[in-house]
Amino acid sequence: MSERRGSTGRLIRDHALPLLVAALFLLPLLWMVTASLRQPGLPPPQGVEWLPASPSPGNYVAVFELLPFGRYLLNSLAVVALAVPLTIVSASLAGFAMAGLERRSRAALVVLSVALLMVPVTATWLTRFLVLRWLGLTDSLLALVLPALAGSSPLFVLIYYWAFRRVSADIFEMAHLDGAGPFTAWRRVGLPAVLPASVAVAVLTFILYWSDFISPLLYLRDQDLYTLPLGLRQLQQLDPTDWPLLMAGAVLLTVPAILFFMLVQHLFLGDGRPERG
Amino acid sequence: MLLPYLVGSLLLVGLPALLSAVLAFTSYDALSPPVFVGFTNFRLLAADPIVGTALLNTLFFIVLAVPLRVLGALGLALLLSRPRRGIGGYRAAVYLPTVIPDMAFALIWLWIFNPLFGPLNMVLGLFGLPGPGWLADADTARFPFVIMAAFQIGEGFVILLAALRGLSGEVFEAGAIDGAGRWAAFRYLTLPLLVPWLVLLTVRDVIVGLGWTFTPSYVMTGGDPYYATTFLPLLVYEEAFDRFRFGMGSALMLVMFLLSVALIGAIYLFFRRRGYVADV
Repeated sequence: MSERRGSTGRLIRDHALPLLVAALFLLPLLWMVTASLRQPGLPPPQGVEWLPASPSPGNYVAVFELLPFGRYLLNSLAVVALAVPLTIVSASLAGFAMAGLERRSRAALVVLSVALLMVPVTATWLTRFLVLRWLGLTDSLLALVLPALAGSSPLFVLIYYWAFRRVSADIFEMAHLDGAGPFTAWRRVGLPAVLPASVAVAVLTFILYWSDFISPLLYLRDQDLYTLPLGLRQLQQLDPTDWPLLMAGAVLLTVPAILFFMLVQHLFLGDGRPERG
Repeated sequence: MLLPYLVGSLLLVGLPALLSAVLAFTSYDALSPPVFVGFTNFRLLAADPIVGTALLNTLFFIVLAVPLRVLGALGLALLLSRPRRGIGGYRAAVYLPTVIPDMAFALIWLWIFNPLFGPLNMVLGLFGLPGPGWLADADTARFPFVIMAAFQIGEGFVILLAALRGLSGEVFEAGAIDGAGRWAAFRYLTLPLLVPWLVLLTVRDVIVGLGWTFTPSYVMTGGDPYYATTFLPLLVYEEAFDRFRFGMGSALMLVMFLLSVALIGAIYLFFRRRGYVADV
């Protein structure tokens, strides 16, 4: 009896409320896509437009005609293509080395990494610019990629550290007995054992560099080097009232990040422990 | 093997942080060498009414956005913690706005909050409600920032989901044996166990939130109307990169740092009053 009485309440809690929440969080994305598909030249809508009345891809074509978005796209891809593999190598090396240390130094490095995570980005803006200028790296795509040499984020080093800690120590010992040095052990035994961590870090790194607006804004002057987020800003400055056009640009910038995230969302949001697999 | 990580962090985080602490006491235009000026920068900042406005705006944002974000993440993690059909989809939907690049995110909300044609005021119109001027009106211009920030809570959501996963099972069985009701179980079992995570998230959110305002304020309002959306990071940017006053910019950054220290101290006291500090 009580089973039956509770079932409506359970349905609301299990599905109706979550469905409502999901709809709310997807609303900004829906409105972006809807606005981007509006026919160029039409006056703004007079009511809520949930779906475009007569969808047209015109704005997506116009974005590439008004600004060298193709060029910006290539710059963005170049940054990501350099940053992702570099991050994987440097972050996994650091995480691997940390996992092999004795207890005390291990704990010290974890604390250091967490402390680094707590340093606000804004605290380093100005002076990082000065350091980069001193290195002769301003106005170069390398200025954007440089953090990848340090693992991009202490979080990624920590992800690898935890992943390597979970891997049984036996296989590292076996590699050691085989006479393998630390780098060989990292490459042959370590990396293959933490593939899911690598996939997760790769996607997070992609999103980090693909989305980065502040670094290029601070460190790039040459328009030929602009990445997509700066291109979108340029589009806004060109005509801040052409909403369908701006939303088309926003869709172009957003879709790759969302696609990559969806590919690996089960690693973050699932209930299993896929790292073990 | 640790070398790239440690040297890189030193070069890109440690050295810059140290440099800005030093530059705060100089006058420096990045061309001629810096000149030591003592506390002059801070005296100038204290005398500037815009700095006071920016400080209050930033506090306004943090005080509203941080609790909203942490409690929102907690509520959603509780709602979506138990495995069931379709759970992956619900969780992904909650996380998705967090993935949107900042520049695109700012433009999307600039459109949503457009007072004349934006979808939000159109929806309010459907219910016969008057649409506020949002970003165009100094009285309401700060609220869109809080609302936007509440949509990007994916990271806290994931962390709390993992924390809940870690403590389900045993704890709740113990609670069931004690005959604890749903609310009592939450209040006396789940919540105390989650407190360390909530403290961590709140502290992190204060730090992240201070910087988060930059892109939206730079892209959506430029600090207008009447400095209503001028937050500290925007002022730092303008001092350094528009006016080439790196000394002033660094001094402002130091002010921001002290603000975050003060806020974190307040959070510590808040949780200590409630006797949770042993868990922290």
